[in-house]
Amino acid sequence: MAEVQPLIAAEGIVKTFPGVVANDHVDVEVLPGEIHALLGENGAGKSTLAAVLTGLYRPDAGRVLVDGREVTIRSPRQGLALGIGMVHQHFRLVPRLTVAENVLLGDPDAPRLLRARQVEQRVAELAVRYGLDVHPAARVGDLTVGERQRVEIVKTLYRGARVLLLDEPTAVLTPQEAQALFTTVRAMAAEGKGVVFISHKLSEVQAVSDRVTVMRDGRVIGRVPTAGTDRHELARMMVGREVDLSPRRAAAPPGDVVLALDGVSAGAAGGRGRLEQLSLSVRRGEIVGVAGVSGNGQRALAEVVAGLRTPDAGTVRIAGTDTTGRGPQAARAAGLAYAPEDRNGTGLAPSLSVAENMVLTRTTDRLVRMGRARAAARAAIEAYQIKAPGPDAPTRSLSGGNVQKVLLARELATSPDVLVVCSPTWGLDVGAVEFVRGRLDRLRAEGAGVLLISEDLDEVRALSDRICVLHSGRIVLETAGEGADVAQLGLAMMGDRA
Amino acid sequence: MKGLTLERRAAAGVREVLAVPVLSVLGGLLLGAIFLRATGHDPVAVYREMVTGTLTTSYGLADTVTTSIPLILAGLAAAVAFRVNLYNIGGEGQIYLGAVAATGATLWVGDTAPAVVQLPVLLVAGAAGGAAWIAVPALLRAWFGTNETITTLMLNLVALYLVQYLILGSHSFWRDPDSPTFPKGKPLPDAARLATFGTTSVHLGLVVALAAVGVVAFVLRKLRLGLDMKIMGDAPDAARYAGIPVRRTMVVVLLASGALAGLAGAVEVGGRTHQLDPNGTAVGFGYTGIIVAALARLSPVGVVVTAVLLGVLENSKSVLQTMSDQVPLAITTMLEGAILIFAIGGEILVRHRIRRRTAPVTPAAQETAVGETAAVETAAEETAR
Repeated sequence: MAEVQPLIAAEGIVKTFPGVVANDHVDVEVLPGEIHALLGENGAGKSTLAAVLTGLYRPDAGRVLVDGREVTIRSPRQGLALGIGMVHQHFRLVPRLTVAENVLLGDPDAPRLLRARQVEQRVAELAVRYGLDVHPAARVGDLTVGERQRVEIVKTLYRGARVLLLDEPTAVLTPQEAQALFTTVRAMAAEGKGVVFISHKLSEVQAVSDRVTVMRDGRVIGRVPTAGTDRHELARMMVGREVDLSPRRAAAPPGDVVLALDGVSAGAAGGRGRLEQLSLSVRRGEIVGVAGVSGNGQRALAEVVAGLRTPDAGTVRIAGTDTTGRGPQAARAAGLAYAPEDRNGTGLAPSLSVAENMVLTRTTDRLVRMGRARAAARAAIEAYQIKAPGPDAPTRSLSGGNVQKVLLARELATSPDVLVVCSPTWGLDVGAVEFVRGRLDRLRAEGAGVLLISEDLDEVRALSDRICVLHSGRIVLETAGEGADVAQLGLAMMGDRA
Repeated sequence: MKGLTLERRAAAGVREVLAVPVLSVLGGLLLGAIFLRATGHDPVAVYREMVTGTLTTSYGLADTVTTSIPLILAGLAAAVAFRVNLYNIGGEGQIYLGAVAATGATLWVGDTAPAVVQLPVLLVAGAAGGAAWIAVPALLRAWFGTNETITTLMLNLVALYLVQYLILGSHSFWRDPDSPTFPKGKPLPDAARLATFGTTSVHLGLVVALAAVGVVAFVLRKLRLGLDMKIMGDAPDAARYAGIPVRRTMVVVLLASGALAGLAGAVEVGGRTHQLDPNGTAVGFGYTGIIVAALARLSPVGVVVTAVLLGVLENSKSVLQTMSDQVPLAITTMLEGAILIFAIGGEILVRHRIRRRTAPVTPAAQETAVGETAAVETAAEETAR
């Protein structure tokens, strides 16, 4: 491969932010037809490197070569002109415009007089060529997340990108959509384009890439051909120590039903996110995963159980007590703990200190005993290895993983009978994921029932003893967690009843 | 594509917290100086006169303190509500109603009752009057989400006309029948008047105001209600999640706010005007209280300091009238307004920092940059400890 000219190469890139070396002499190259994975935890420097390669940041040292020539990329627009395109995690699309209009938007070479039909035709051609299922005349606002991502890819291809950087592209996709994305990526590589696939998920890096560059703390730890890599080895390189992300199941058969929903309907009539006659139960010593594409009733489900929403019909029983519509305090008194998806803002008040947040839910107290709250915060910081300056630090100053630890520390301090937890490892580092999974597993072993609601199928599959797929407010599939068929789950998430 | 961006600070230090009020005042004074210079006055001389007239003579100092008494209470009233993001702009009306209720109740109790009866009557009636005036906006806000800024503001006018009607427009219980030609309020029973310190105009209302500061500070720091208020002000979703009785707390906070304003009206009639005066009862103090609260960054103890500062400005009107060349009195109102604007604008700088951006910044890049800076700041704080 040595004689092949890389499409793009970075040599000795150094980029520092005040107090942080985000990239420390990083080298990376992408060959024509190569899918190159950039693997690393949050803050490892992947996104900074991508920003340097696309012209968002200027490196402090080092050089970038495109087709073997040293270049200075001053802006993403100039990067695109050199054939380097990026699809960001958060899409930059105008929902009110059509796909074709979005593709044209911001194109410096776009004709002043827009010929919509011509653009639509080119978009359609690109879509067919790379297996990107998008209709050029569709309004972006009507598209699913997966479709929007395809629009972003078409946008960069339309401008003639030869190197495409994808930043955590599967974070928002269903397994089927992810598979479709992999097909597209392979089609681009087959044409000689280069793809940089940024991810912290080992499974998809192994599934799609040709080579992997592993980054940690701003440095390149290793670069290996994907074929023949060991997942365990990659994880160790990424985190810097042994991590155990293998699936965990209950060691003993489950006990009595500890959370029971019976015929629960809730939410705006006919609206998105409604629950329709949903029945579900969780037993002691069991983790039940609720999978599904967001907006299919997950929020309503969590809030009905947590007592934050009164169902229109049906009952909720927590550890034998009927708590239907009796409010969050009643649910908590019955033995519920609830870790919502929005950690800093709903589960915690971000301007308040760790100590104050430890007593957030003790609303029936008359006095605030700050001494005790601080002691509880110190104990949590110790037991959960929370990186915080101290009990008086506001939780907004903590990183995502530490925020989740504060939230779980508080919710689990009451030794709950039932835990409802939403996307518990979303956005967390591998190390923190391991910790949170371990904590949930321990809670199960201690005899609590856990309802794990998540859009991330990997997360659901890693812990659940049973998996329910939620679609349009109903459970359309229920299956054992052990050996669950991903394709079958994915189809159910799209609404196909198995 | 260079420019400036705002970044959220991880936490504001003491320096930033103090910088805003101080710089706001300086900014206001600078703006006032430009105005004074443009109208042909010497700003230094005018400011010197304002300070010496209100702070260095014993008479002026006493007047300044007397003026700051209702301002402390009005400032507390605003601060308590604003902390929960409830914008009670109706302090003015609640002060009037506090005065109406306080005068009405003490006059009804009559001349024979002793001070031990009359003084509690004065204060409790005042607080109740203010609370009653905000009750409807409070309930509307809690149960129907009606904008309390508008409802409380509109009731200010109703209150103003009500007071004028009671004294000027009718032969009401409040009007002095012994003065048929010049309509004025019935004089308060002696027992209902707040004693003054020595020969100064400073009255017992100061003790009432400082006690109120103590109570509010205690509630905010020690009671669960204070933490609930903090949570509601910071993250309404977290308040709901925690199971805080949000509506009830809203009503309680607004009633307390109204009661504090009503108390301001009570100490004004009990300590200074000794009658329901349609023109002289705390005119504008409700609005000035908002400036007091904003400048104090809603801190109850800070309110005491800023109330004195605003007391200086209020009192310098009479000082300026005695100056030889005709300095426009509007200067004090202008200064108050300018200081408020600087204080509100400065709040953004306490919570954010300005950064020069070196590359065209996209939202995602901005997010990562903010995250990184937050981490750096946390680390810096850690070492500072």
